[in-house]
Amino acid sequence: AGEAEPRRAQSRRRSRAMEEFHPHNDEMTFNAEEAHNIVKECIEGILSKVDYNHNKVNQWTATIVEQSLTHLVKLGKTYKYIVTCAVMQKSGAGLHTASSCFWDTTTDGTCTVRWENRTMNCIVNVFAIAVVL
Amino acid sequence: MDEFQSGEETSFVVEEVSNIIKEAIESAIGGNAYQHSKVNQWTTSVVEQTLSQLTKLGKPFKYIVTCVIMQKNGAGLHTASSCFWDNTCDGNCTVRWENKTMYCIVSAFGLAI
Repeated sequence: AGEAEPRRAQSRRRSRAMEEFHPHNDEMTFNAEEAHNIVKECIEGILSKVDYNHNKVNQWTATIVEQSLTHLVKLGKTYKYIVTCAVMQKSGAGLHTASSCFWDTTTDGTCTVRWENRTMNCIVNVFAIAVVL
Repeated sequence: MDEFQSGEETSFVVEEVSNIIKEAIESAIGGNAYQHSKVNQWTTSVVEQTLSQLTKLGKPFKYIVTCVIMQKNGAGLHTASSCFWDNTCDGNCTVRWENKTMYCIVSAFGLAI
């Protein structure tokens, strides 16, 4: 392949079968399912057996984001991560969330996990941005 | 140039982003009461307007903008976020806004390329 070409264009021409075995930074894609499972386990580990408690909620949201982030980083991929968590008491109020991202759609990605129990709703968003080395 | 001397073209300027967000919120929902049928449209409009103003700044950043609108009826809402990034150049800004019938929380994250 030509030396003058930017690295990104060059590696896209390499065999796609190599992708899974030797992922180059610019061939990486965000595995949303993997992230979804990681986050779901974190939420369940913290909220599954409790009811909404005003005094503890701050601690719960902080623990959920930190644990999720730690597990995501342990995957060892060259990504920056943003994890957000919202916990809302169930009382009939309406809650709407939206997000919009300006990034590289080939390598970056997002995953949202919605969870609820009898007394609260929990929404966790993960945004992963590939780091170009 | 006051606080951001080095690379003011390539750093995340919280105040600038905060103003962009406030304007987007005001123009989308300022003066409106919570309406179930319109909220989806409002959240979308807030994030899209914010994002387009941010990209117009022309800085080498990737952006993520999130918006939460909640009806006021006494329920508790807690949000948290945690980020794994480069502290020297990445940043975020959160704006909380409310009126008589709803709360609106917008967060913008900027990641240097």
